[in-house]
Amino acid sequence: ERGGNNSFTHEALTLKYKLDNQFELVFVVGFQKILTLTYVDKLIDDVHKEFRDKYRNEFQQKGTLGLLNGTFDFKDDFMRLLRDAEESSKVRAPTVMKTFEQSLKSQKTVKCMIETRGEKPKEKVKNKKNKGSKKEGTEAVAAPGKASAGDKQPSAAGEKEELTKDEILQKNREEFFKRHMKAGEKSRSPKPEAQKEKGKKPRVWDLGNSNAKVLDYSNSATNGSAEACPVEEFDPDIALGDRNREPGRLYDLEYESDDEAEEEKVIQNPSKPSAKKGGLGGMFGMLKGLVGSKSLTREDMDPVLEKMKDHLIAKNVAAEIAVQLCESVAKKLEGKVMGTFTTVTSTVKQALQEALVQILQPQRRVDVLRDVMDAQRHRRPYVVTFCGVNGVGKSTNLAKISFWLIENGFSVLIAACDTFRAGAVEQLRTHTRRLNALHPPESHGGRTMVQLYEKGYGKDAAGIAMEAISYARNQGFDVVLVDTAGRMQDNAPLMTALAKLIAVNAPDLVLFVGEALVGNEAVDQLVKFNKALADHSMAQTPRLIDGIVLTKFDTIDDKVGAAISMTYITSKPIVFVGTGQTYCDLRSLNAKAVVAALMKA
Amino acid sequence: VIWRFVQGRRIGRKAVLLLGLCDAGKTLLFARLLTGRYRDTQTSITDSSAVYRVSNGKSANVTLIDLPGHESLRLQFLERFKAAARAIVFVVDSVAFQREVKDVAEFLYQVLVDSTVLKNAPALLIACNKQDVTMAKSAKLIQQQLEKELNTLRVTRSAAPTSLDGSATGGPAQLGKKGKDFDFSQLPMKVEFVECSARGSKGEEGDADFEGLEKWLAKIA
Repeated sequence: ERGGNNSFTHEALTLKYKLDNQFELVFVVGFQKILTLTYVDKLIDDVHKEFRDKYRNEFQQKGTLGLLNGTFDFKDDFMRLLRDAEESSKVRAPTVMKTFEQSLKSQKTVKCMIETRGEKPKEKVKNKKNKGSKKEGTEAVAAPGKASAGDKQPSAAGEKEELTKDEILQKNREEFFKRHMKAGEKSRSPKPEAQKEKGKKPRVWDLGNSNAKVLDYSNSATNGSAEACPVEEFDPDIALGDRNREPGRLYDLEYESDDEAEEEKVIQNPSKPSAKKGGLGGMFGMLKGLVGSKSLTREDMDPVLEKMKDHLIAKNVAAEIAVQLCESVAKKLEGKVMGTFTTVTSTVKQALQEALVQILQPQRRVDVLRDVMDAQRHRRPYVVTFCGVNGVGKSTNLAKISFWLIENGFSVLIAACDTFRAGAVEQLRTHTRRLNALHPPESHGGRTMVQLYEKGYGKDAAGIAMEAISYARNQGFDVVLVDTAGRMQDNAPLMTALAKLIAVNAPDLVLFVGEALVGNEAVDQLVKFNKALADHSMAQTPRLIDGIVLTKFDTIDDKVGAAISMTYITSKPIVFVGTGQTYCDLRSLNAKAVVAALMKA
Repeated sequence: VIWRFVQGRRIGRKAVLLLGLCDAGKTLLFARLLTGRYRDTQTSITDSSAVYRVSNGKSANVTLIDLPGHESLRLQFLERFKAAARAIVFVVDSVAFQREVKDVAEFLYQVLVDSTVLKNAPALLIACNKQDVTMAKSAKLIQQQLEKELNTLRVTRSAAPTSLDGSATGGPAQLGKKGKDFDFSQLPMKVEFVECSARGSKGEEGDADFEGLEKWLAKIA
């Protein structure tokens, strides 16, 4: 389910892989991490294509027996491809140098900081022409919009020439022409658009300068420009005074928005026919999908995946996890041949469902009782530590779990290592009293099933835990449940204290208690908790979170996404689920039911 | 029509599943049974199936299905194929058994309490693989250990907290008889233990030693 990114690092090696979903092949390339080989991706693609083409027949006809019996003598081909890839990467290096050089050169001639990649050689040409002349009149007008924009750039930006009124006149004329040429040059509209934007900024400054100059002169300049552009019928407001350029500026902006509007129209127009085409194609595609067998492409899956991602996020799965999940499903299905009578949606949904079930299924055994029995045999207590942020239900669920353990005949010692919160120790004492009332010593062979070990408030939690464990060992308790104070994951000193408690006491099970109401916060909490535990432990293999207790499950009806987020981040199982505030409200996770609730529309 | 229906039910369950933990030797066993040759295998990530002709002259075939043993994949594939299983070969690594006994027992427990498996009661063969290594445990020892472990597991599993929507994790199925220690004979299906070695005592060139396995396959075909 983590198929989203295609590289994996282990010790000194990095592995990159590629899936062929049509024939169910996996291509893996391993190389040393310190080498940054640029040709790896290309190599793996080439190998994939060659191998598939060469052995296509064997795959299609003979199936498994073909795979077993066939000899795949690919070594020579592989060596050849490897050599090609290495050579190609060597060749590429000098070309990088050249483009840099080119840009340096161009920079020297143009003297402008604006760099548009495609335009550079053209700019060089145009600038050579325009360098001498101040009047860029005829050339500007003659050339279509692109060149004029190109001219405007150097003229407007670098040289700091004063714009004479002729130039202002010329500019207006160019704009007029440009606007009319827009009709014919839709395709080029983005490019001159971009240049025009860049040219616009410096031009504003000049206009500001010229504004002052214009003010100095008489109004004849402005009048002249107003007259010279008969176009100004559009803006009859351009008449008087120094507000000429302001309307001019607005005019620019309008022009801008016109551009944008036109651009939008342009964009929409192609999208509309494509939508129509899509509609028709969709009908045929549906029929094709129903009857024939076609392979899935990224474009087919994208809309469905988008919808599924939003659905997951609506069900309280953390946003980045939903994205990664959809990515991995896409990678898994890309190129796969669908069977008959299956639609894209159903295939994607099924794949997503399988991935979710796989996430929730525990990778290792989740049998606490079995491990307790083991510890019993070795005559040492089984230590469980509960950690989590404030208010998630650690103490309540600790009481529930101790009830469950007592029901199964194990004696429990509760260590009150929450020395901070007011009433924490009293709370646990009340629970102990109630549990003892429910399971009196007489019915269990004369020993008290549950006892509280506490040392009051304000003491060091790690020390109390250590004393509690040795007390349990002496007295022969089967399980020690250690309750810690709630702490925010950002609180560094408290995280250090927790890490110290866990590192020093080496509990058998570290349970992270998280509430089901949490959304994107779950990711942050778990990551920071794990990081703190790993950073502050002295040992080679630090004790990380071993399991998750999901609490307050009865408060969410079917927005069960927090379960997915938490198991995805840690890849550790959900050991218990808390569904209420009485002692019997303890459940274990049913992966299928949760996934069904998650996928339900 | 009725005959077709009955035939369909019998034909539908023609598969023999190869189950077991990771690295037990299922894929190599699969390759050996089908081709007789040794192949270097990797950890399987998907199932493989092929038709196997039984070698005792009855000219019957069964479909052998090799499922991956990795923890994250095994249940998913089991779900898919359990309905079609006529027989199950549970491959156990005899060398690593001491270390892995809990995991082996847990997987076996999961297979045995599955409702579909209990209903169809396919024949079960526990193949103690890797007998060519000197440290391998014998089939008898493995049987005893598994029985003890499953005994404990029934208790702990049925005592686990009930599942979210009310169905208990152990299922209404109780493995074996209550009150008595668990024994493989208490199961509704036929269980046999056999020793075999997929690699073969002569190394990679020689044949594999699994006559017991082949005989059993011939019997159930």
